[in-house]
Amino acid sequence: MSGDILVVQGLQKSFGGLRVTRDISLNLAEGNREAIIGPNGAGKSTFFNLLTGYHRPDSGTVTFEGKDITGWTPHKVARAGIARAFQVSNIFVNMTARENVRAAVHAQLGEIYNIFGAARAIGNERTEEILALCGLAERQNVLAGELSQGDKKKLELALALGGKPKLLLLDEPTAGMSLEETRATMELVDRLNAEFGLTILFTEHDMSVVFNHAQRVTLLHRGEIIVQGTPDEVRKDSTAQKIYLGEHEL
Amino acid sequence: MPDLNVILLQLFAGLSRGMVLFLLSAGLSLIFGVMNVLNFAHATFWLFAGYVTVTIYSYLAEMFEPGFVLLVPAVIGATALMVVLGLVVERFLIRRMYNRELPEQLLLTFALVLIIGDGIKLIWGVQNRRIFLPVTPVEAFGVFINPYYFFIIGAGLTVAIGLWAFLHLTKYGKIVRAAVFSRDMVSALGIPIPMIYAGVFAAGIGIAAFAAGIFSPLLPMALGTDIAIIIQCFAVVVIGGFGSILGTFVASLLVGIVYSFSILIWPDGALAIIFLIVIAVLIWRPWGLFGTELRT
Amino acid sequence: MTPRDSNVRANWRIRLATGDGLSLPVVLLLFVGFLLVPLLPGRFWIIVATEILILGLFAMSFNLLHGYMGQISFGHAAFFGIGAYATGLLMRYFKGTGAGDLGYFEFFFSLLAGPPVAALGALVVGFFCVRLTGIYFAILTLAFGELLYYIVFSWYSFTKGDDGVQGLLPPALFQNAINFYYFTLLVVALAVCLMWRIVNSPFGYILRTIRDNQRRTAFLGINVRAHMLANFVIAGAFAGVAGALWGPFQRSIAPGLLGWEQSGIAVFMALIGGAKLFIGPMLGSVVYTFLHAWVTIYTVYWPLTIGLIILAIVIFAPGGLLGLVKERLGARSKRPTSPEQSAATPETGGAQ
Repeated sequence: MSGDILVVQGLQKSFGGLRVTRDISLNLAEGNREAIIGPNGAGKSTFFNLLTGYHRPDSGTVTFEGKDITGWTPHKVARAGIARAFQVSNIFVNMTARENVRAAVHAQLGEIYNIFGAARAIGNERTEEILALCGLAERQNVLAGELSQGDKKKLELALALGGKPKLLLLDEPTAGMSLEETRATMELVDRLNAEFGLTILFTEHDMSVVFNHAQRVTLLHRGEIIVQGTPDEVRKDSTAQKIYLGEHEL
Repeated sequence: MPDLNVILLQLFAGLSRGMVLFLLSAGLSLIFGVMNVLNFAHATFWLFAGYVTVTIYSYLAEMFEPGFVLLVPAVIGATALMVVLGLVVERFLIRRMYNRELPEQLLLTFALVLIIGDGIKLIWGVQNRRIFLPVTPVEAFGVFINPYYFFIIGAGLTVAIGLWAFLHLTKYGKIVRAAVFSRDMVSALGIPIPMIYAGVFAAGIGIAAFAAGIFSPLLPMALGTDIAIIIQCFAVVVIGGFGSILGTFVASLLVGIVYSFSILIWPDGALAIIFLIVIAVLIWRPWGLFGTELRT
Repeated sequence: MTPRDSNVRANWRIRLATGDGLSLPVVLLLFVGFLLVPLLPGRFWIIVATEILILGLFAMSFNLLHGYMGQISFGHAAFFGIGAYATGLLMRYFKGTGAGDLGYFEFFFSLLAGPPVAALGALVVGFFCVRLTGIYFAILTLAFGELLYYIVFSWYSFTKGDDGVQGLLPPALFQNAINFYYFTLLVVALAVCLMWRIVNSPFGYILRTIRDNQRRTAFLGINVRAHMLANFVIAGAFAGVAGALWGPFQRSIAPGLLGWEQSGIAVFMALIGGAKLFIGPMLGSVVYTFLHAWVTIYTVYWPLTIGLIILAIVIFAPGGLLGLVKERLGARSKRPTSPEQSAATPETGGAQ
């Protein structure tokens, strides 16, 4: 289908004898906001790992903007325009928040082999833009390792934005957040989608977030897709209800 | 076409060397697998043990008839001493490094190489030491061979099988293997991790000491041998794969035999040939021939 | 005024406590100290200072891989030695059998040959070594270092093997110890300035991200392996500069310059001075070289001595001398005196 920025066909992955991803197919339209949900161990993070090249799929294809990126290494996938924010903060702890974002910006600007320029003088505009967008302007000179949990999550997102991605993969963006922080984060996500045209695919446990912010939802269980559709459709699906019985209220 | 004699001789020499490398590398691999510490000084402990063995033997040989029989208490004595030394080193030095970063751990064991290595010089001076066993060559496979080779190969195999049996068949061995897999699980089961670590380290050193003891009649103990040997051990664990006894065994024999035979073809290039194998393995199967996916 | 400006202006103590802030005063102090060394009586201090400078540069080149990129190489001396041999053998070749001194052009040409040859060696070795990191990197670099040592040792026809190459006299002007010393100071100072630029460039900051989180760096779209290789080559080139100077300094070279003991010197200097700070290894060189000169007067058991010292430092002060200083300063600025300061509470652990 044209207008699909990401097309996943029949993705399979096993570790040892364990099948963690079974025949997953997904069409993600450009400019959409979609969510992937499922109980713990359903294979959501593994799916992201397969998309971003951290693991190589046993079979199946991943097509991004019409290009086959199956089996591409993480750095090539990132350069193609897919960025990922991790569930557990995966930042550069011995550098300041500003330096963190700046590094991502330098990477996108193609400056990383510049050995004579001054890092402090390059990419500042965009760095400050991203810091401001993510609410980190006040604490940009704090060492990333010393930031609060919430700020680390913000930095996570800021790092992903540094590369000017077209598709943003968010791994549980509101995990561990208070109501207020969740609201602020998802507001930013919506803004990134509406104002900046980023396609968003996120995994979530918080159902209210899913229903308020996702246009389509995919439910994973034990590595395979159970149901796909609008949040309402998924909510009403009986299999989905069975899976979540005792876990959440849909 | 080299003499059959020579070939067979080199084969036995290679197998013996392989056995010793195996004993050393197994200890190294085990310590790394369980404790995540790369003991740079492993071969230096080995060398130290060798010197101790020779000293005990010489002392005994002054009182009694020199011969194979005296080797036994010498080896036992040296091994016991080294086990104690290993426990002390683990308790007071290595133990502090468990939560540290990798470079710091490496630096610690690297410093031990210098300390123990120079310590050997301090205690025994710069002279080589060796044991001269009165042996009569024995005929085997149509060739005259030093029967001591058989002993080494036999002793090495025994320890290898014993180690395997311990790790796979006994309760304690299974705990040790589990610790390689997941430290936290073992600790959660209420088994004291520090004791396991102390035991594994001391055992590794003890096995190295045993290896030195049985090798001392064949090879002079000399300053600087430890570095050459530790590099061969590294080659073995890279080729065979960390955490696989079978891999270590195969790789040790391989390295030992390659080393011996390259003396025939290209005397100075022994290390270089082994090296090329290491590079090849690292390019095609970085986790070794028998290893599992790399630990990060 | 943006929040950043007021942060920066108000917190000179915090700035001092972070990496680069501390380096500057130390660098200035060191440089002035080095300038004034020839004022001291006799030749001894000048010789020692020359050695400190050359080995300090070597140690700083190692730190590009260690403090900035997070790896530990036990074979870095191979490039120091390659630089030394490239220069030394050329000097030998130019001198030929003639009776006169080496010409100036030939001397500088020989010196200039050191770094590129060393860089080439680093390219070949690095290609294999950067495929893996951590333990494997340490093992591989050690093994490659020993291999290269072995090649130089065995290739008698080309390198004169264990005999080494003697009689590496620089041209007349530089045979004077003071002249050679200032020449060395100039070269090392230039090299250090260049290194400072590189370390504070976008390239340099990516090295730090690789150190902190290799995986995430890849997810930023960076080919980590290529980057590490580039750094490995740069580090090798700087080691080659130091090596090139060593030959005419000592007037001779030997295969030992490539071995693990020589590699260890760089590692120790970085540790002693502080690996996480730019000028740390140079400071480490000052301490190490003096210690070495002093201890070897009384005893031949230098490896034992330095081994014990390294043991103590690793256990009790892994951040080295400058790390300790930083801790003290960091602890003092912990008391919040302004709103900006209370937002940042510096850790006093060594690893910053």
